Amino acid sequence: MALFLLRRTTQMIVVVICVVTLVFVLLRIAGGDPARLMNAADASEEVIAATQARLGLDQPLAVQYLYFLRSIVTGDFGRSFHGGYEVRDVVFAALPNTVALAVVTVLVSTAFALLLGIGSALLRGTLLDRAVQVYVSLAQSTPSFWLAVMLVLVFAVNLSWLPAIDFTGPISFVLPVITLMVALTPILIRTIRQSFVETLERDYIRAARARGVSNARVLMIHTLKVASLPLITLVGLQSGMILAGSYVVEVIFNWPGIGKLAVDALASRNYPMVQGSVLIAAVAFVLVNFVVDILYSVLDPRIRLGAEA
Amino acid sequence: MTGAANVTMNSTPLPGRTPRVASSMWRRRTAVVGLLGLAFIVMVAIAASWIAPHPPGQTDLSNVLAPPVWAGGDAANLLGTDGLGRDVLSRVIYGARSSVLISASAMLIGGTLGLITGLIAGFFGGIVDTVIMRLGDIQLALPFILIAIVILGMLPERRPHHLILVLGVPAWIVYARVVRSRVLTERESDYVQAATTLGASGFRRIFRYILPQVWGVLPAIALVDLSNLVVMESTLSFLGFGLSAPDVSWGQILADGRGSMAMAPWLSIIPGLAIMFTVLSINLAVESPGLETRRRLWRLPSRRATRPAGDTHPSMKPAGSAALEQPEDVLLSVRDLAVDFQAHRDSPAVHAVRGVDLDVRRGQIVGIVGESGSGKSVTAYAISRLLAPTARIARGSVHFDGTELTEMPERRMRRIRGRRIGMIFQNPTGSLNPVLTVGFQMVEAIRSNRPMGRKQARALAADALRDVGFGNPEDVLRRHPFRLSGGQNQRVMIAMTMVVEPELLLADEPTTALDVTTQAQVLDQLRRVRDEHGVSVVIISHDIGLIGEIADEVVVMYAGRVCESGPAEQVLLDPQHPYTKALLSSVPTPEVIAAGNLEGIPGDLPDASAIIPGCPFAARCPAVMDVCHIAVPALLPVPAGQTVACHLYTTEAEVLQR
Repeated sequence: MALFLLRRTTQMIVVVICVVTLVFVLLRIAGGDPARLMNAADASEEVIAATQARLGLDQPLAVQYLYFLRSIVTGDFGRSFHGGYEVRDVVFAALPNTVALAVVTVLVSTAFALLLGIGSALLRGTLLDRAVQVYVSLAQSTPSFWLAVMLVLVFAVNLSWLPAIDFTGPISFVLPVITLMVALTPILIRTIRQSFVETLERDYIRAARARGVSNARVLMIHTLKVASLPLITLVGLQSGMILAGSYVVEVIFNWPGIGKLAVDALASRNYPMVQGSVLIAAVAFVLVNFVVDILYSVLDPRIRLGAEA
Repeated sequence: MTGAANVTMNSTPLPGRTPRVASSMWRRRTAVVGLLGLAFIVMVAIAASWIAPHPPGQTDLSNVLAPPVWAGGDAANLLGTDGLGRDVLSRVIYGARSSVLISASAMLIGGTLGLITGLIAGFFGGIVDTVIMRLGDIQLALPFILIAIVILGMLPERRPHHLILVLGVPAWIVYARVVRSRVLTERESDYVQAATTLGASGFRRIFRYILPQVWGVLPAIALVDLSNLVVMESTLSFLGFGLSAPDVSWGQILADGRGSMAMAPWLSIIPGLAIMFTVLSINLAVESPGLETRRRLWRLPSRRATRPAGDTHPSMKPAGSAALEQPEDVLLSVRDLAVDFQAHRDSPAVHAVRGVDLDVRRGQIVGIVGESGSGKSVTAYAISRLLAPTARIARGSVHFDGTELTEMPERRMRRIRGRRIGMIFQNPTGSLNPVLTVGFQMVEAIRSNRPMGRKQARALAADALRDVGFGNPEDVLRRHPFRLSGGQNQRVMIAMTMVVEPELLLADEPTTALDVTTQAQVLDQLRRVRDEHGVSVVIISHDIGLIGEIADEVVVMYAGRVCESGPAEQVLLDPQHPYTKALLSSVPTPEVIAAGNLEGIPGDLPDASAIIPGCPFAARCPAVMDVCHIAVPALLPVPAGQTVACHLYTTEAEVLQR
């Protein structure tokens, strides 16, 4: 287990360094000179040179890279071009909103997918199974941003049931979560259904029934525990999808999270803010995958102990 | 043992393959719909400049937000106009062009890169392979959408080739992984090995032998990739990181129209429907039967097992049930039991068990012996009502201690399973849940059948493990089944089953998966179970030698019927049925092997879905007579002491020959 943890941690650190470096390179190549952007267009060369010196932009690229790394480690991402706020403060204020949205989405989606997936696995070939299959096909073909716009159109504009935009408490979660859920659940449902169907046919399920174990226990413990393993990996793999989805959803629903922050910052070329928000999102993404891997190995003793042996 | 004897591992007969055909028909139909939809989109994209009524960027500020025709608009702008008076239909058509161009090109780039890297990684292996695959791992761990947004967001102007590169390149790893694993498998295959031996050069091998195999998997992955790309492209456009004007894309139309959502909802609805139509078409096309895909997860529904009330199967002659008497200490009595498998309503039924009679007395060990497919395991599963969903008991009765089991509701049956009828299986490791510890499963088994606290159950479990010869029961309880050997797991299974003290133990090939020394241990345990607890045991095996070693009574099965049964010594030393004789002579004993005249049984088991009018063994029987093909022989006692179902001992033969 220790070895496994060590290996995964190393891997995670490598990936984080890659992300960080990539962001650095992208900003330096594509971003232009921040010193010029920070000053008025007609600023004198002296002023620009002074800004460059202050930002360390007159140093060789390697030195800049090291400064960049230090600023990340210390959490100092600089100040926003607009309003002069500490990027760190803005980013960390936005992060909980994105996390809350992601967590609620994952919980709701998983519960929903378990219900439909297990239901259709147990009732194979029935009307319910067919209906779930149709839902999966349609949901898979629906682009999130369009669904989000449609939801706003129907429930906020036409029916005025729910707030369209702005964060006004729990009710604000409804439309964004539905949007993300429709994007996440098709694959989840397919996987759960398949995994359940396969597990139910295993020898140990029949053996458990032969031992007189009740149906409820066979389903909830013997089948679910094995069948839910792929689900965990999937949720991890889908953190990318949640991330992508949250960008769309945050922009459409005006959700004050990291995604909206990054998109707005890019649109207004606010580089320190882009850097800060992208880095945080990337690190969160890598971390989630790391946690999922660990969780998977804890739940599946074959992996945990296999790595140890 | 010769091939013809084929007395090998037992397996449950498989139901017919007919449903596959039905499903592939259905799949072909959905795939055709998908491909037609896809073709339509591609045609619209190609013909955009001819079929679009207006140039996509032509503004007309005198005609902004004109409604589509169904909402009272005029025919000049079928789908209305947007906030700048641009024709929506024309923009959607040009949007299709952007979408198809970008997605298809990106797919080609990713696919080509992936194919090349996958081939290289798989073919050269070693350090090249490691580097390529590690790079892929790292790339997959990167948040793609973020990087795409940053790159595109930094560009002052975005043209199609920018999007093609940003979307296309990262997909390489998906293709590369699949191609690589294909190459690895193919490289090991016989014909490629043969080509290597014959001196085919590396590149020749790739192009001649490996590439054609790899082609097979690519279309499905490419289509899945394509549907993701269509969504990604429009999502980026919607967020404002897609194509810059004057290029048009669906996401952009929606983003433009969002501001006037309340007044002009069609601006938001129409581009979304176009995207949905495209993605749905691709997803349906993936279902094409020719495509190998892991995405096709919706397996066919199988018919749930139901036992129709009063089902009257075209009955074959019950095999002499009246001839057998039923002494008082009989615990289990099976009469004329028949089991059919039917995967689908329209597929032919497979008659796995065709009428079995069986008696088990208290404290007796009964061995059922027969070839694979003789129906012996299915009989055991039918007794404990654990048949697969596709199987059903067609007729017959199972009396257990005076109660009829075939008619019993599942609720009551559950109280008999485990508690009164225990069962152990051929694959001990597979019969224990891999993610739960031995202790958890034993405690669960005990508490499912006996009202008892957790602690008490655990102590009982430890005792039971000690009983089957574990010196360190506490340690075993903490372990997961995969940490134990097959023999240890089988002993755990026995302990787990016996700890609740059932009256009958059904053992289905309990030693087949084990090595010889472990076999002996397990057989010892089964014998002890009977000797010390007075439990009746039904042991099922294809190994007649093993049965002879442990059983008091032997039942020989062939093609779902009993052909001979009686006391073990009697049946094994003086067999009367030609099949039993053949079976015994196919057992390799040292003398026979030394003499070099090991006999097989020529021919194969009869087709399990056929209705056999006569003796099922007739086609392979050395003593076959005319009557054997037309009448089922009844199971009758013979002077030697056992009961035999063979026309050598019935009166029909004489009647017919007269």
